[in-house]
Amino acid sequence: MSVATSTDPILDVRNLQTAFFTEKETIRAVDGISFDIRRGETVGIVGESGSGKSVTARSIMGLVDSPGRTLRGSSVQFNHLETVREYASKFPDRTVDLETVAADYDPVALFDRETVDLTPAAFGCENAADVPLADIVAAGYGDELGLVDEDDCVFVTDGSPDTPTEIDDGFVEITRLSGEPRRRMRGGRIAMVFQDPLTSLNPVYTVGNQIKESVRLHQGLRGEAATQEAIDLLEAVGIPDARRRVNEYPHQFSGGMRQRAVIAMALACEPELLICDEPTTALDVTIQAQILDLLADLQAERDLSMMFITHDMGVIAEISDRVNVMYAGEIVETADVNELFTDPRHPYTRGLLESIPGQQSGDRLQTIEGNVPTPNEPATSCRFAPRCPKAFDECDTVHPVPVSVDEGADDHTAACLLCPEHRSTDDAIDQHRRRNARRTGGDTE
Amino acid sequence: MSRWRYFFKRLLLSVPVLFLVMTFIFVLLRMGPVDPVAARLGPEASGAEAARMRERLGLNDPLWEQYLDFITDLLTLDLGKSWVIYGDMEVTRIISFAGPPTLWLGFWAILLPLFIGIPLGFYAGLRPNSGGDYIASVGGILWQAMPNFWLSIILLAALRKTKGGGWFGFDWYTLGPDIRSITGTPELAFATASGIDWGTLASDIKLILPPALVLGSASMAAELRIGRTAILETINSNYVETAKAKGLTNRVIIWKHVFRNALIPLVPVITNEAFLLIGGSVIVEYLFNINGLGKIFFQATVQGDLPLAGALLFIFTVVIILLNILQDFLYTIIDPRVGYER
Repeated sequence: MSVATSTDPILDVRNLQTAFFTEKETIRAVDGISFDIRRGETVGIVGESGSGKSVTARSIMGLVDSPGRTLRGSSVQFNHLETVREYASKFPDRTVDLETVAADYDPVALFDRETVDLTPAAFGCENAADVPLADIVAAGYGDELGLVDEDDCVFVTDGSPDTPTEIDDGFVEITRLSGEPRRRMRGGRIAMVFQDPLTSLNPVYTVGNQIKESVRLHQGLRGEAATQEAIDLLEAVGIPDARRRVNEYPHQFSGGMRQRAVIAMALACEPELLICDEPTTALDVTIQAQILDLLADLQAERDLSMMFITHDMGVIAEISDRVNVMYAGEIVETADVNELFTDPRHPYTRGLLESIPGQQSGDRLQTIEGNVPTPNEPATSCRFAPRCPKAFDECDTVHPVPVSVDEGADDHTAACLLCPEHRSTDDAIDQHRRRNARRTGGDTE
Repeated sequence: MSRWRYFFKRLLLSVPVLFLVMTFIFVLLRMGPVDPVAARLGPEASGAEAARMRERLGLNDPLWEQYLDFITDLLTLDLGKSWVIYGDMEVTRIISFAGPPTLWLGFWAILLPLFIGIPLGFYAGLRPNSGGDYIASVGGILWQAMPNFWLSIILLAALRKTKGGGWFGFDWYTLGPDIRSITGTPELAFATASGIDWGTLASDIKLILPPALVLGSASMAAELRIGRTAILETINSNYVETAKAKGLTNRVIIWKHVFRNALIPLVPVITNEAFLLIGGSVIVEYLFNINGLGKIFFQATVQGDLPLAGALLFIFTVVIILLNILQDFLYTIIDPRVGYER
């Protein structure tokens, strides 16, 4: 196996499903999405309200509370080598050497067992023998197959957990974290900036106190050193007179200042990945531009990876490298930012782009009629079909899965029956139907 | 700091309130339906004796002079003499023996709800919709719904039944320190020159617990319910989510970020309940036969003992103003946003 390089994804989300179970209904807020984030890259997630953007972020942070939970089969792998080494040395009991497990791993026999309702298709493979062990374990099936213990969350694929400093490859499975490892990941490795800066700071403690809290927790600084670090951080996010400001309360800060303070707090733990959940939505446009510039600067300075959630196409165009478009709990299109704006393939993406003021052809602003449906059942059709101007009969019977939009366009995928476009529509539908059958084959729970 | 300037502003504002109340008492006493002379000498008094009394009480002076005298007397704590109940006894002396039992009762009636109601409310709020939450919440509503006079009687009846064993398997009379009667005035002689007499203290506490429980019942339930709501509201707030995302432990989140914010709406509840205690103590002291200010105030108003009633009213007012100041003080400490003007 290869040593991790900078182009490898730092965060690998696979088939993430988060559902909320209420008495009335089950809401599949995030329904089997896959995407990755590479080191130093900004990945945008865009979609209407209710499309599952924030739940995605909260699932990654482990902030989904009852009645919601992340379903089995979901996997979020954190592929940062230093983190894996640190975790392996700190939590040896929860670390597993997948190479040793692989020695007695026989995929064919596993899938034949009657106790487990699992097919190779669930992992996108035709044959049982092709399913990688890491995927099975990461998706949470390793426990009942007897491969790993219930609270194992650090998986080493190259190197030995006994000598953590020499581990060459591995990952931390975020969906399996709990307790102390979970807390170290939150803030320490992945930090989050929330939507509303006015309410995301505790009103009864000074801004400095709240930043120092993070500094103490993740950098181990105390007293004067922690205060100095808090002042440095406030300066780094462009707050003037930081030495005085550090002792002020949140209500003495303006909205933009508070968001800067929240960003400083997120940076206090020196994270590898920063999740921004609509950080500029509550701010006015000039402040929004400043905050976006600040985030871009900080990213370049600190080699941060960023996941940026917004419903504003303009913001996405400015800040992201790659974009995932979400609709009703699914990712409907993934592409490089330039390609997405110049050559959108999914009708939903086109609708979103046409509804940007100034882009319309006539006097009236183009809109997408209707609302985002609430996904209650596993999808059996295209969820966008009722609002889609290009919908045809098969859209109501076949669930589209993400496929490359064209021959050779591996980085641009869309979940639409019209794709891939180099094939005839019938061929394309067949492809979706086949991929779908495989996908749902293992989705019977 | 503007917080403290705000606090001092509130402190100054209580001065006009005090004067307003004193004027009100004066008007009530001098212009009310009760004739002071008749109250002292009885309705049949007449002629020279009544005129002498009128002169002695200064009722013939101009009203503004009477008013000034009245105010100066109150401010110098010269509260006058009782007319009827404790014939010619100084009001300050009456307060010196009737005050402590009332304070003792009030102290426990505030303390019990504080240490039972709020923890229960916080417990329920941290485990919403669990069995424990339902029991605590329903219990709180029931507890609040029971009126003090009814609860007092039932509690007394139940405790009397425990004499010599009884229904509940314990005897309240002999449980812990022995007491002769379950009602009566606590002696409060536990603080002696040679230190604290623990035996007396224990029996004083035991004597005051039932009335304090009754008196504090409504506040206990209110604190429980407000505490529960406050916790629920705080725990779902964005800054708690931010704190979680920072990687703080649950212990720090609850103790540092949740509790302090949840206390803010509880402050006025606690101090307001303390106001109610003053009114409530009238009934409870009567039923539990405690010779305290509440009981004396009731007698004084019923029997037209105006100086005594007026003086007690003044004392109650001062207590309420002090509680208000305490409330502002607590606010100022807990919430930095107090006094903040944009």
